[in-house]
Amino acid sequence: MKQPTPVTASSGRAHSTLPPVPRDRVRFRIRASAAIATGRAAGTMLRRLRLGGGTSLPGLVARYVDPHVTKHLGTQMRHGNIVVTGTNGKTTSSALVTSVLRQAGLRVWRNREGSNLARGIATSLMAHAALSGKLREQGDAAGVFEVDEAAFPQVVAELQPRTILVTNLFRDQLDRYGEVDTVAERWRDALARLPATTTLLLNADDPAVAALADARPTGSPVLYFGIEDAPTSADDAQRVHVVDTRTCPRCRQLLTVTERFYSHIGHWRCPACGFARPEPAVRARQVSFTGLEGSRFVLETPLGQTDATVHLPGLYNVYNALAAATAGVVMGATLPAIHDSLERFTPAFGRGERIAMGDRAALLLLAKNPTGLNEVLRALGQDEAKHHLLFILNDRAADGEDVSWIWDADFEQVTGKIASLTTSGLRAYDLALRFKYAGAPPDTVEPDIGAALTAALAHVPVGETLYIVPTYTAMLAVRGEISRRGYAPRYWEQKDA
Amino acid sequence: MPDSLAENAGENEHNGPALRLGHLYPDQLNMYGDRGNIIVLRQRSAWRGVTLQVTPLEIGEPLDPDAYDMLFIGGGQDKEQDEVARDLREVKADGFLRAVEADMPVLAVCGGYQLLAKYYHPAEGPDLEGIGIFDAWTIHKGKKVARCIGNVALAWGESTLIGFENHGGRTYLGSGAQPLGRVLAGHGNNSEDGREGCVYRNTYGTYLHGSLLPKNPHFADHMLRLALDRRYGPGSGLRMLPPLADTEEWRAHETMLRRLNVSPRSHSFDVARTS
Repeated sequence: MKQPTPVTASSGRAHSTLPPVPRDRVRFRIRASAAIATGRAAGTMLRRLRLGGGTSLPGLVARYVDPHVTKHLGTQMRHGNIVVTGTNGKTTSSALVTSVLRQAGLRVWRNREGSNLARGIATSLMAHAALSGKLREQGDAAGVFEVDEAAFPQVVAELQPRTILVTNLFRDQLDRYGEVDTVAERWRDALARLPATTTLLLNADDPAVAALADARPTGSPVLYFGIEDAPTSADDAQRVHVVDTRTCPRCRQLLTVTERFYSHIGHWRCPACGFARPEPAVRARQVSFTGLEGSRFVLETPLGQTDATVHLPGLYNVYNALAAATAGVVMGATLPAIHDSLERFTPAFGRGERIAMGDRAALLLLAKNPTGLNEVLRALGQDEAKHHLLFILNDRAADGEDVSWIWDADFEQVTGKIASLTTSGLRAYDLALRFKYAGAPPDTVEPDIGAALTAALAHVPVGETLYIVPTYTAMLAVRGEISRRGYAPRYWEQKDA
Repeated sequence: MPDSLAENAGENEHNGPALRLGHLYPDQLNMYGDRGNIIVLRQRSAWRGVTLQVTPLEIGEPLDPDAYDMLFIGGGQDKEQDEVARDLREVKADGFLRAVEADMPVLAVCGGYQLLAKYYHPAEGPDLEGIGIFDAWTIHKGKKVARCIGNVALAWGESTLIGFENHGGRTYLGSGAQPLGRVLAGHGNNSEDGREGCVYRNTYGTYLHGSLLPKNPHFADHMLRLALDRRYGPGSGLRMLPPLADTEEWRAHETMLRRLNVSPRSHSFDVARTS
C-alpha cells in the first residue's frame, strides 16, 4: 500500500508553510473574457429582476461559454485554493478557515453560501476577475471554497487546489448522492488524479475519510485532525443508530471502536488488517460544553498547545474548529492567530446563527441529515432549559426528496425539553408524526412557513429565544421570512456569506 | 445491547399481552428509515397495551420460528447485501421458511424484499441468490438505466399506501405471484407492469419506505393484527387493537396523495385478501 506522509503533533515537526504559487503564464484568454462578460451580465439581469442573488447563474453561463474558465482563474490565485468538502460542516469549516487565514494576514476569497457546485465556484472566481480574464489585485489571495460532495471530483479537476479538507462522510440524501461507499469511491478516484504536492487535511476519527489518504501517492502530504477525549455518556453509546461506516475501508472487516463520539466518529481500529485511526497532528483534549453556546478544549498542534473556545454548539463544531486550525497550520498561521480567530468567530449563515427579532431572538440550527440533526437534538437535549421549538422539513431537491431520514434521528432526546413545538414545511405532517411517535405531539402543525413562524413566536415570552431547526431550503425560506419582517440581511448582501 | 430498540426484549409478559418481533440484521440493513417502521409497530402496540419486544437477529444467529410472532427485514448498502444474503441462505433460511409457511407476518422492505425473492441480477458481478419465498426476481439493467426514485402511491385493497422508493433493480413477478398493490403514481416493481411489491401468505415485500408504516397506519395495524390473531387466536387482533384517531397520520397520507394527484380511498385496514 502506498503510504502518504502524515505529520503528527507528537513528532513536533511543524509542517512547512506552503510557499506562494509560482506566478507563471497568466495568459489572456479571449474565451475566458467572453465567458466572464456574459456570465456577469446574466447575474446583473437576475438581480435587476429580483430573482435572487445570482450566486450560480453567472458561473453556469460562463462555463458554457468557456469550460476552462475555473481553471484559468483558479490557477492565478497567489496563495492557492483550499477546497472543503464532506457531508456536514462544510460551510462552518470554510467560514472558520477563512477567519483563521484572515487573522494570519492573508486576503481570502471564498464562495457564497449554497454556491458549492462547479458553477458556484466559477461565479465566485469571476467576481474577482477583470474582463481581461485576469484576477484583480493580481490574485493576491487564498481561495477557500466549500464544495458539494457530488461536485467534488469535477471541481478539484478544474480548480487544482493546493489543499483539500475533508470533514466527514455520512449518509445524506441517498436519492441524490447515492450510498456512502459510492461517494467515497468517487472521492478516491478524484484524489488519485491530483498532483503529489496537493495537501490533504483529513478527519482522523472518520474511518472513511482517514482512508482517503490511500488514494494519494507516496510522500504526498497529509495532516489529520481529531478529538482525543470528549464527554460521551453510556446513554449516548446506547443511542447510536445512525452509523454509516461500520467496516474497514481497506479490508471490509467489522471495525473495533474504543471511543464513539457520535455516529461512526471516534477511535477505531480494524482487528483484521490493523488499519487504525491515524495519529492526528491537530487535536482537541478535554472538550467541555457550555450549553448551546459553545465549547472549550485544549488545542494541540505542531505549533504548540493552547486553551481554545468556540461559540458554536455541539461536538460537531469542535471538529469544524480543528479542521480550521489544521488549515491554519499548513497555511502558516501562528498559534495565537488560530486561537483568536476561533474565539472571535461568529456562526455561519443558519448554523447556530442568532438573529435578534425585536424583544425576542431566533437561533437557527440547520439540520439536513440524520447525523447533523442528531447533533442538534443532542445539544438541545443536553441543555438545562426547556426550549421553544420550530422544526421545518422541506423535501425539495436540495433537501432530499426522501424524508425517511427523520426516523433515523433520535427525537426522543428532546421530548423532555420542549416548552412549545411547532412543525412546518412541505412535510410538516411527517415531522408531526416523528414527534408524536417520540412521545411529544406538536402544539401546532402549519405547513406554511410564514404562518408557522408567527404561531411559534406567539409561544415565546419576551426576552426568550425560538430555536428553529430547518432543512436547507426551509432555512432559506424561514430566513427570508425573518428578513421580510426586518430582522436579518438578505443572504447575498451578507459579507463573505 | 447492539440496538437499544431491543430494550424490551426478554421482559416477561405477565404484565400484559406481548408480541415478539425479530428484526433481521439491524446493523447491516438499516437504510431509509427502517427504524421508523419498528418505532411505529412498538408505539401503536403500546398505545393499546400490547408490549412489542424487539430482538435483533444478527449474522450467524439461526432463526427459531417459535421464538417470534413477527419478522422485519430492511434495506442496506450493496456491499452489506452480499454478506446478509449468504447468512440468510446458509444460517436462517430453514427457520425463515418454516415461519413463512406457518403464516407468521413478515415485512420486507427494499433490499430485504429482493433477498426474499429468487435472485438479484446485479449490474455487474455474479447473481445474488435469494431464499425464494416470493416467485419473483430482480434485474439491474446497468448503471446507465435510471434508478426508480420518487414518491409512490398504491391501491391496496380498498385503500391506498404511500411511500418513497429508491431502487436500481427492477423486480418481476412469476405467473402465480401476487403483488402488494397496483401503482397509482410512481414506478413500483419495475415501472413497466403497474405492480408493486409481492405478497405470499402473510409475508409482505415492498419497495416502499419513507418510512412505510408511519403514514400508513392501517397497514401497520394490519401487520400487528395478523401477529395477534396468530398468537392469541382468531379475532384477537381486532379486539386487542381498537382503532386510533390517527389524525396526523392521515393528514400526512392525504397530503402526499394530493401532491401525486391521487384521489383518497378508504382508510380501512379491512383488505380483500388477494390469495
